[in-house]
Amino acid sequence: MAALLELEGVRAGYGPTSVLHGVSLSVPEAGVVSLLGANGAGKTTTLRAITGGVRWSGDIRFDGRSLHRMSTEAIVRHGVAHVPEGRGICTELTVDENLKLGAHRRHDKDGVKKDYARVFELFPVLKERRRLSASTLSGGEQQMLAIARGLLMKPRLMLLDEPSLGLAPLVVRSIFEVIKTINKDDGVAVLLVEQNARIALELSTTAYVLEVGRVALEGPSAQLQGADSVRRSYLGY
Amino acid sequence: MQEFSQQVVGGIATGGIFASLALALVLIYNAMGLVNFAQGEMAMLATFVAYSLISRGISYWIAFPLTLVLAFVGGLAIQRIVIRPVERAPILTLVIITLGLATLLNGLAGFIFGYVPRSFPSPFSAQSLGLAGVFVSYRDLGVIAISSVVLLAVYVLLQRTTLGLTLRAAAHHPEASRLLGVHVSWMLALGWGLASAVGAVSGIIVAPTLLLEPNMMQSIIIYAFAAAVLGGIESPLGAVIGGLLVGVTINLAGAYLPFVGGDLQLAVGLAIIVAVLLIKPNGLFGRAAVRRV
Repeated sequence: MAALLELEGVRAGYGPTSVLHGVSLSVPEAGVVSLLGANGAGKTTTLRAITGGVRWSGDIRFDGRSLHRMSTEAIVRHGVAHVPEGRGICTELTVDENLKLGAHRRHDKDGVKKDYARVFELFPVLKERRRLSASTLSGGEQQMLAIARGLLMKPRLMLLDEPSLGLAPLVVRSIFEVIKTINKDDGVAVLLVEQNARIALELSTTAYVLEVGRVALEGPSAQLQGADSVRRSYLGY
Repeated sequence: MQEFSQQVVGGIATGGIFASLALALVLIYNAMGLVNFAQGEMAMLATFVAYSLISRGISYWIAFPLTLVLAFVGGLAIQRIVIRPVERAPILTLVIITLGLATLLNGLAGFIFGYVPRSFPSPFSAQSLGLAGVFVSYRDLGVIAISSVVLLAVYVLLQRTTLGLTLRAAAHHPEASRLLGVHVSWMLALGWGLASAVGAVSGIIVAPTLLLEPNMMQSIIIYAFAAAVLGGIESPLGAVIGGLLVGVTINLAGAYLPFVGGDLQLAVGLAIIVAVLLIKPNGLFGRAAVRRV
């Protein structure tokens, strides 16, 4: 499978503090890859490097094109939807306005219309709450809105930063079901950052474990899931 | 009763002037969390531009929109040249920069145009129209009409267009907006341009009453602060309603409180600022500030 996203020896940090010390990973076209690790291992920074939210060196290529020195706006336009930590919902706006923001750069009116229908099919609750302020949504609904908004960008790759954070297990289940559907039926590749290793490994085919800014471990998810020593030392369950 | 109604109508006209400038303040506050102390001077300079155009024989109704376009470009340029390099500086630095900008623009206007007050034309006659026993000057009606159109246009732009949507998103959630492909930096510049144009309206419509000179806006900006604070500094609608309330209040205070008269109206404006900040710091339409610490 051709790699859609490739990171090679990526180093990044905030000011004098470096967080990533040479991270290499790849996400295949229409694949699901999870990125695991403890707090502070550099998972979020890796995602931020991909969409240009932090200065980095090394190489990041998306669809064969280097993302070096490319602005966030340009990277996003090439088909990367980044659902950030904390979901990035615009709470001053309505649900509908948030969705509109996702599609605001697109000119294919028919495509947008179809994607709206698709999004409301995946998340019927958003259709009911279209006109309400996004601040009235529950945590789970806000996460759904963030994913829906990402989908309306018509991405080829979705970066999801801790979609399970702070949500009840049942809600997490249903959100991961949708992520699975998006990947299977819509062919969107997913790079998933998670603390909840168990559910991430169930969804992904490949997994990387970060430890203080380096890839400590990588392999097929099933294999990582099975190895007891790996589970205990890196994944904590 | 008749005098009372007349004072109220006069207050609404004055309030429209405050509302425009207050709205300009709110637009920039929303975009950067910063009160632009140079807003009044930017409006004053724009009014001088309008004056120069009109005195060259250009019709008022062409000079007016042309000035707004120039003010828009000027505001955009100020953001790009002066503000953008220090965008990430601490808020106090930015406040000092806008204060410096105010002094600079004031001095620049004095240098170019001098300090002699000039009469500024109004397209509306100073005569009055009797409406149900209340006499309203055409000039007041004109001011009310112009500010209504401008405020409505800003409302439509912000609430009903995609550009307005991205402006609002970029102002409140720059990081998230960037990830959605919004050009946040340009949105801030557009915000400055828009604020500059809206503020210019207040200068142009107040100039026939106040006479045009470099310090013309210095009392108006106090009233605009009062209006913005009263409405809730983050709320565009609040700025408009705050402007009208402040306009009517100072007009009524001037007419009915003998010790206020014409001299202490500015003190009433300041009293409104202090009272709002003491009693309801978020204003009428502001939401309570929640900050994660």
